Amino acid sequence: MNESIAISASNLTKKFDDFTAVNDVSFKIFEGEIVGILGPNGAGKTTTLRLLTGVYKLEEGEKIEIFNENLKDNQINCKIKFGIVPEISNAYSDFTVLENLEFSGKMYGLSKEEIKNRSKILLERFELLDKLNAKTKTLSKGLKQRANLCLALLHEPPILILDEPTSGLDPISVKIMRKQILEFRKAGKTILITTHDIKEAQTICDRILIMNKGKIIADANPDTLRRDFKSISTIIFKTEKELDSKLMNYPTLIKRSDGTFAISSENVLKDLSELYNSFTLKNQIQISDVKIQETSLEEVFIDLIKNDSTKKKGVKND
Amino acid sequence: MIKDKLFKIWVMAKKNINLYIKKGPVIIFGLMFPFFMTLSWVLGRDISQNQIFVGIIAMTTFFTSTAISPIVFPIETREKSLERIISAPISLNQILLGIVLASALYSLLISSIITLIFIIIFQGLFSSLLYIFLFWLGIILMSILGSLLGLLVSAIPTDKTSDVMLIMNLIKFPLLFISGMFTPLDVLPFPVVVLSCLSPLTFLIDIFRYCVDGHSFFPYQIDLLVLVLWIIVFFIANGYFHRKTMPKRF
Repeated sequence: MNESIAISASNLTKKFDDFTAVNDVSFKIFEGEIVGILGPNGAGKTTTLRLLTGVYKLEEGEKIEIFNENLKDNQINCKIKFGIVPEISNAYSDFTVLENLEFSGKMYGLSKEEIKNRSKILLERFELLDKLNAKTKTLSKGLKQRANLCLALLHEPPILILDEPTSGLDPISVKIMRKQILEFRKAGKTILITTHDIKEAQTICDRILIMNKGKIIADANPDTLRRDFKSISTIIFKTEKELDSKLMNYPTLIKRSDGTFAISSENVLKDLSELYNSFTLKNQIQISDVKIQETSLEEVFIDLIKNDSTKKKGVKND
Repeated sequence: MIKDKLFKIWVMAKKNINLYIKKGPVIIFGLMFPFFMTLSWVLGRDISQNQIFVGIIAMTTFFTSTAISPIVFPIETREKSLERIISAPISLNQILLGIVLASALYSLLISSIITLIFIIIFQGLFSSLLYIFLFWLGIILMSILGSLLGLLVSAIPTDKTSDVMLIMNLIKFPLLFISGMFTPLDVLPFPVVVLSCLSPLTFLIDIFRYCVDGHSFFPYQIDLLVLVLWIIVFFIANGYFHRKTMPKRF
């Protein structure tokens, strides 16, 4: 990854009548970076992508630059730099895979020879050669998504935009898709990916933007998110005997359904030592099977969304 | 640069012809409708050969030209392929022209074939080559105009072809009935003639009559000019309305 900016978006806003889908969103994506946009349904992820790809017109004050070129002024030059894989296949269903590739290639200004050669390479790579003359409407979802990848890559774009690329796919197709995304990274492509799958984001993304209600509420790499946004780990343990009411009031202690206890901890070593003092030394209650559970990105995500929603409700009530 | 732009319009048009020529609404409203309309008009009536010829070709051109253009956007909205096109390096004007070209070519082809069949069967329809040229020019202009009209109706941001075709028929039939196709303009009362001037089809039929009968209600130059003006108006209206409604499709 280098420091040149592939995508720079400033003050993006999109309203649908009274509903604000994207609210003053700004971000930068560096060349070669894999950035994930995470968020619940209706957070504004797809709308943001549609603003980036020129599907929605930018209003006064909004700005998108693709490799320093203004999208408003150079729509054609900017659009050619994108390869887009949508959540639901948008290839022509009555065209065969080959016809779709030919049409797409011509739209992106490729010569017949280039279309032929590149199609062959891509179809081989995505194991679609035997489906060359099959109408796309006859393909399974996984195959359709692979065909979409071929269409997105045909003109060799430097930026790939993937909208929920593994949503609803079978495990084999998910594996192929993830492997490909990592190979694109190796090839130096800039990738912007929206996903519901937090584990996927954690595995493949260099940086994560968390969106909620049209705004970016967090922008950091997965590890920083875990560390900075919710540095609380959970200490899980068993006890030899029942706890009396005094110990049950121990700060943040929760009795779990499996009979174990859990304590939230911002400083595991300190809390473990206090736990030992309170339980074992003062009350002669042995603790065993101690486990430390790291906060997952999923918990960070849920926490951030919950806090953001509570904050917004609070503001509204004020 | 211009060559590249024109090539993309052609690629779009080719795609539209390949994908939509066999679609139900195109066959029903583009071929079957004018055929059965003509049959019901002609059968059992004492109508001159020239009037039948003019009526059939006018109806064919009008119906075929408005067959493909209204259905492209609703179908592509439903199938999501419109988003692929909008995010591709092609302008909205090129997309619109690709649809108009496909629809106009389809109309031009069908109308020209039927005209040719009539010329062969009823020899002596045209007294000179100039009339044939003028007749064909009328078909070309009407093909473009009808395509633009169909495209304009499809600015309604719906993904149902039935919605668009319903409105299309609500517009097409009144335009057809006031066009002087069934009754020549010179025998109609003045207020009806004024009303018929609202239909571009009136001017096409007037050109056709001039070509086969040698006389027309308006000078043929006026007829041509009105058709060209309608094309310009529809072209501007299409750009304006599609730009406005396109974001509502996603």
